Amino acid sequence: MQQLPPRSPHWVYVFDQAFFNETDARVHLYDGDNYRRLGQIDAGFLPAIAISPDGSTTAVATTYFARGGHGTRTDVVEFTDNTTLGVTGEIVLPAKLSETTPTLFSAAYSADGHFLYTAYITPAASFGVLDPLHRTVLSEIPTAGCVLVIPSGTNRVSSLCDSGRLLTVTLDAHGHEASRAMSSPFFDVATDPVFVQGIRSTRGFTFLSFLGEVHDVDFTGAQPAFAPPWSLVGAAEKGVWRPGAQQVGAIHRALGRLYVPMHMGGEGTHKDGGTEIWVFELATHKRVARWPLQPQGLSRIVAIQVSQDAAPLLFAATDTANVAVFDARSGELRHVEKHLGQTPWMLLNP
Amino acid sequence: MRSIDELCENSARALAQRTSRRSLLAALGQLLTGAALLPLLPMDRAHRARADEARPEALGPDSCQYWKHCAIDGFLCACCGGSSTACPPGTAPSPISWIGTCHNPGDGRDYIVSYNDCCGKTSCGNCECNRNEREKPMYRPSRNNDLNWCMANANVNYHCTVSVILGVANK
Repeated sequence: MQQLPPRSPHWVYVFDQAFFNETDARVHLYDGDNYRRLGQIDAGFLPAIAISPDGSTTAVATTYFARGGHGTRTDVVEFTDNTTLGVTGEIVLPAKLSETTPTLFSAAYSADGHFLYTAYITPAASFGVLDPLHRTVLSEIPTAGCVLVIPSGTNRVSSLCDSGRLLTVTLDAHGHEASRAMSSPFFDVATDPVFVQGIRSTRGFTFLSFLGEVHDVDFTGAQPAFAPPWSLVGAAEKGVWRPGAQQVGAIHRALGRLYVPMHMGGEGTHKDGGTEIWVFELATHKRVARWPLQPQGLSRIVAIQVSQDAAPLLFAATDTANVAVFDARSGELRHVEKHLGQTPWMLLNP
Repeated sequence: MRSIDELCENSARALAQRTSRRSLLAALGQLLTGAALLPLLPMDRAHRARADEARPEALGPDSCQYWKHCAIDGFLCACCGGSSTACPPGTAPSPISWIGTCHNPGDGRDYIVSYNDCCGKTSCGNCECNRNEREKPMYRPSRNNDLNWCMANANVNYHCTVSVILGVANK
């Protein structure tokens, strides 16, 4: 099997939901230095994608039908070797996968890579605990209406609840529930809900609200801890400028920079995509740059990601399926890759 | 073709006209919990066609900008062989759905709308329509259009979406 060249921090996995023919989603591996596609991972129908903590494996949790668009349903996790892009194995799942637009938390690895979690909705909500090394299903844990799998540590899974709380389930060594706890509310779904597309931060994940509040959640302890929220927008901008996208932000953890696609719009525009990228310094909560996109010939940004190296690249996918490559420090536009798939709605890097 | 209106509209409209919006939702929620009889909860996918045309009241139900599509996200079944309330041939309506509250500029009233996916074939790919008024993330599923609401069908493949008026949303 053909080998890929040595891995680069400037590679990005472009999740293409193939919305116009959804049984044929895929992941494109793209090189942000040489501006070329390196290969593809097939991903089936409304998949969830997770890259293992060591970067060696891509797990695709998806649904296949025996006769293409119909026939017997099989839900499965397929493992791809990221050095060859060949499929190396699978775990067949209960036919319960949550089928939705992409999030980081539809499938996720534990920090040590020993557990893989898959979100289920039937519409009853639960999640599966898998052993990706031995390729077995370990357990299914009901979540009382809370959804998705936010991983923390080696054995904790948190789910977002309609009450604005996080349910955190702690697992034993066999992947079964050892305990559970419910947090205090950290947002109000009626007045200002948070996007489910969390952003990986230094000590956990950051969640943005529809109106631009920033909720940083520290997942390093036994239970999540919530920092005081702060706002992306000033008083005059609130309700006028707001975040919006399929993937609503990216954080460079060493630089302490947050990148958010922002647009002008009212209630109901939370998926409209950004006309500008706003850059914030996390230590001070100050906005340090605004990068308008239209003057550079770019349409609205629907997904964003940043490499974590010292010379970082910012990747931004548009609603016309182009992927722009920026210098993440200066905002200089280096390249626009046209038509990188059909509907690239999430960008991942290990 | 099977009309989803026949499934639910008469009873739901009568229910809605007799009850407040809050109690209507509670009643629908109870029905949904007990059995998937009423179209209640739905499906999205993302961005694209935005409702920015002027005079939306002048547009018909086959247009994305028509008022009752205010929280739809998917392909309009009217462009796929069905209508704004009926699934295309060979597909089946989802028994569960998401709902929206949409303002009808024609009579100035708000209506509860059920968005049901039509299921059993791959996505239609025609007349994409993404509107998100009062849409909520998936931790509030009854208001979320990102989920595949074909999830409880015999064939869970998503094809297109219809918008069925359930009744007036009394304030």
